[in-house]
Amino acid sequence: MSLPGTPTTSPTPMDEDIEQTVYVNTEPKRVKVYILENNEWKDTGTGFCIGEVDENKLAYLVVSDEDSPTETLLKSKLEGNIEYQRQEETLIVWKDLGGKDIALSFEESMGCDALCEFIVHVQRNIESNISLVTVKSSDNGLGSVHDIITGPVTLPSNCSEQNGQTLLEALRILNENTSFDFLKNETIEFILQSNYVDTLISHFHKAEEEKIPKDLFLLSNIIKTLILYNQRDILESMVEDDRIMGIVGILEYDTEYPTSKANHRKYLGSKGPNFKEVIPLENEDLKIIMKKCFRLQFLKDVVLVRFLDDHNFNLISEIVMDLETCIIDFLQVGTFLDRLIELYDTDIIPDSSVEREKFVQKRKDGIRLLQQCVQMSINLDAHDRSKFYKTLVRKGLFKVLDYAFHMETDSNVRILATDTIITIIEHDILLIHNVQNENSFKQQHKLAPDDKCSTRSNSQDYNSSTDSKLLLILSTILLTDKSPGLREQVVQALNTLLHPEGCLSNGEGSYDIMSRSNNESKNTSEDFPNFGYGLNSDSINLDNYNYNNEDMNNLDATESESEFQIMEYFTNFYNKIAPILFGRLIKRDATTEMTEMNGKIKKTQKDDLLLIHLVKLVSFICTEHDRVLSRRFILENGILDSVSNLIKGNHILQLRLTAVRCIKNIICLDDKYYHRYMISKNLYAPIFKLFQENIDKNNLANSCIQDFCRIIIMECRIHRDDDHNRRENSNGTCNKSSNITKPNGNNSRTNFTILNKYLVQTYGSILRRATYIPFIQDMLKFGEESQSEHSSLENGLEGENDVSVNIPSDGLASNHLEDIDMKNVKRLHSEIEHFDNDPHYSGDQLAFKKSVDQMNAST
Amino acid sequence: MMDLDKIIASLREGKHIPEETVFRLCLNSQELLMNEGNVAQVDTPVTICGDIHGQLHDLLTLFEKSGGVEKTRYIFLGDFVDRGFYSLESFLLLLCYKLRYPDRVTLIRGNHETRQITKVYGFYDEVVRKYGNSNVWRYCCEVFDYLSLGAIINNSIFCVHGGLSPDMTTLDEIRTIDRKQEVPHEGAMCDLLWSDPEDVDTWSLSPRGAGFLFGKQEVDQFLEKNNVELIARAHQLVMEGYKEMFDGGLVTVWSAPNYCYRCGNVAAVLKIDDDLNREYTIFEAVQAQNEVGNAIIPTKKSQMDYFL
Repeated sequence: MSLPGTPTTSPTPMDEDIEQTVYVNTEPKRVKVYILENNEWKDTGTGFCIGEVDENKLAYLVVSDEDSPTETLLKSKLEGNIEYQRQEETLIVWKDLGGKDIALSFEESMGCDALCEFIVHVQRNIESNISLVTVKSSDNGLGSVHDIITGPVTLPSNCSEQNGQTLLEALRILNENTSFDFLKNETIEFILQSNYVDTLISHFHKAEEEKIPKDLFLLSNIIKTLILYNQRDILESMVEDDRIMGIVGILEYDTEYPTSKANHRKYLGSKGPNFKEVIPLENEDLKIIMKKCFRLQFLKDVVLVRFLDDHNFNLISEIVMDLETCIIDFLQVGTFLDRLIELYDTDIIPDSSVEREKFVQKRKDGIRLLQQCVQMSINLDAHDRSKFYKTLVRKGLFKVLDYAFHMETDSNVRILATDTIITIIEHDILLIHNVQNENSFKQQHKLAPDDKCSTRSNSQDYNSSTDSKLLLILSTILLTDKSPGLREQVVQALNTLLHPEGCLSNGEGSYDIMSRSNNESKNTSEDFPNFGYGLNSDSINLDNYNYNNEDMNNLDATESESEFQIMEYFTNFYNKIAPILFGRLIKRDATTEMTEMNGKIKKTQKDDLLLIHLVKLVSFICTEHDRVLSRRFILENGILDSVSNLIKGNHILQLRLTAVRCIKNIICLDDKYYHRYMISKNLYAPIFKLFQENIDKNNLANSCIQDFCRIIIMECRIHRDDDHNRRENSNGTCNKSSNITKPNGNNSRTNFTILNKYLVQTYGSILRRATYIPFIQDMLKFGEESQSEHSSLENGLEGENDVSVNIPSDGLASNHLEDIDMKNVKRLHSEIEHFDNDPHYSGDQLAFKKSVDQMNAST
Repeated sequence: MMDLDKIIASLREGKHIPEETVFRLCLNSQELLMNEGNVAQVDTPVTICGDIHGQLHDLLTLFEKSGGVEKTRYIFLGDFVDRGFYSLESFLLLLCYKLRYPDRVTLIRGNHETRQITKVYGFYDEVVRKYGNSNVWRYCCEVFDYLSLGAIINNSIFCVHGGLSPDMTTLDEIRTIDRKQEVPHEGAMCDLLWSDPEDVDTWSLSPRGAGFLFGKQEVDQFLEKNNVELIARAHQLVMEGYKEMFDGGLVTVWSAPNYCYRCGNVAAVLKIDDDLNREYTIFEAVQAQNEVGNAIIPTKKSQMDYFL
């Protein structure tokens, strides 16, 4: 970051060492001299050219004959307002004050360079009115491009007495000077070196006092023009303490709104946003940077919001980001964060009630402060972010969060705390986990902490169970806090924490089951930004994870260890957290359900809003988590029965449809256990009841169920086509069949065929009322077709009595050759790979089957 | 029950609406919007309005110039939020009118009515400035998911924000979408909100990175297949406020004058009478006023207190 007041362009004319170089002549360069006579260039000889400054400080271009060095071919004085043109690489052309046109044609472009430098030198030090311009033919060969290399620069008057005339003139000059880089740079130099802006500000106060609208609008336009110079030092100088009020004051006047005036000064002054120091800052520089940062944002977002173009906007954003990086860096040195987090030590509560109240307020502010710091860090680069968050966690961020969630009752403060967590875990889901581990590791090995802050590390309180502790805290908030906004945030945090992708090591392991089909990879233009938010966040940076592990020597070991940790983490979730989180959906005996259904109509809406979140979470864990783990939990607890129940009439329609979508998502998993379960438990009944209610209506419920039917029939069609192709293949050449056969779990289409048939059989009467929908006709037709077609194949489901399905089973017969390429299956919703074949899980699978058997036996 | 008229008055003055009120408004709107189809049925006479983009004061002018919601039926083609500085007030005002006069206001989803887009183009930022947290933005985004994807006037004029989709070429097909979701990056629902008409021979890639470009042939086919005579859409700035294309088979209506407070364009609304005649009303940006009629300069609200 460069400081205002530091010269950034070429040295000023009166520099001392220049004084010494004035008399130095240049090296001789070989050149041909031409003079224009009667419109024709006449060659007057070849010689060596030097730039010469004599003792009277008069400058000349001198060419001596190469054959007789004492003879001078040309001696031309640099004077007056002569314009030297450098044409292409090797030619310098000018008209001297006597009206003679002269051209020097250099042998080499280096020679031409040297003499051009001389001309620049003379312009800067001796003859300020001469100029040097370059002329080059433009790229298309037609016409030419001029550029000023040096010359006199017209600058605005910096006289302390300004008036409408000088200001108008200044505005014209400032605008004109943007046309060439040379003029622009010289002008920038002038603005930074003189106190031109201060001159303007002092005239502004006068003009405002004397009520001279013309001057006020001119001043405003001048400042805006200066901003359009898009120069970092100018912008930074404008927000300094002694200028900011003047600048925003001037910008209150706007020719676009000639009859009104903004009130930026009032805003910044009295009622303005307060700069609150929750913890006093020791570093004065830091305070200055913070103020600067705020003011630049104020300029960008408020004062100049309608005015800035993309270049200005980006430049200011860039400066702000640099300042923010600087602030975040500063905060991590010294004791600032320690003193902040000390506020949440439980043993320092003041005695008097007044003091206590103050202290409680201070703690609230502290949480706001932390949230702002973390928000500020969002734009930093990933490495700086990780570093900052790790510092926060090491210094005891959890103590603060613990306070927010256990002691603090203000939902607004809790929202900020949740926001802080979300920001950190969305950046790197493992960061908190890893830092905590690192602490407990140190403790276990009695290593010396690397800095004194770590001695107060909270590893004792928050060691290995931090993850589940965080999950538990969030779940509890979701279930108990009534603020709908906080609930939504908490759900977002839970989604991130429970997203298996975030826990992936580096993708090469056998853990592909965890990865989602990524539909976010589509190339997008600037108008359609491609980034994640919330649930779909792709901000989780795997590189960071590797970075976290950089000290580990054995990557493989780390990898399998982290796999184990992930497994443990999710197992722990299903054992300890999920039963609490989904308590409302865990099937209870019939009597409780009845009593709950009766009566409390008044209360339902609020409950329903919570249930919407829970049902969405059910969808989420079913589709995203390890199938065996999640399915066992879902089925053993009768979660889907409850979800199906929610579709019934005594809930708000939003919830009823959310429940339909949950069922829809689970159907799309194409998981035979779910499919059989839902049929055997008759879980589709409420969907068709709802369909019946809306069958002739053009509304969301109708569309939602149409979508449900469409998914099923589309999958059936794919099956039918595959089936068809297969027969074609086996009738034709015979060498195709064996290759893609899969032994288990891929009776995929048949799940939908069975479902379709079941639905047609069970709800045919309702479906037949909806034949205005073309694909429902299809559904009916296909349902009836498949029935007759497959009836000959009818036999038990894999010969096992594992799940009782109350329709004639079909389609799963082993004589059905299965050669459907799984890759061709286009799922409609999020896709999870089956891993039934994975030997790792076969044990689980068996256990699961047993439990389902038991459960079925008991119902 | 909420006093809608009171909230409407506050919104028109650009006053702060408590979070709790916004929540109630959003919840009630959801219930109402759920009753509408993906393609809502609307009767004539009706006035079709294009993009608003948070220009509250121009929205007020729009109502003033076109009869007002007390007397006129309206369809808004989406893009209520982003870019302008009063996205929240503009959107809530339309929701209030919808709640207050359900039969007179139809709201269609635009490509800006999504979580992703509003996070980048201003609405999210505006809410955080006005409330200190993003709750209100979240409530509004939930409502976005319930908005219709199109409307059909007297079975003759199809209204949509962006344009057509190669995936679904009939109104019946559009009705099979479960629209309650964030707008996907591809597929029919995305196309309806993102596509643009252009002089192309067939479906072409859109430079926007979402949706398609479609030409006269696609429009003619759509009109014929669905037995409609006009597609009314918005989504693209038109300096003159409106632009008919393809022999009058499609019209773009744009209702944000001096777009982004600097484009210098005029705005238009399109009135369709009982005989399906089209009548355009043009209007310009006017100086915004506060509650007591004093001119104000549109700007963003500054951020709240800052700490450290």
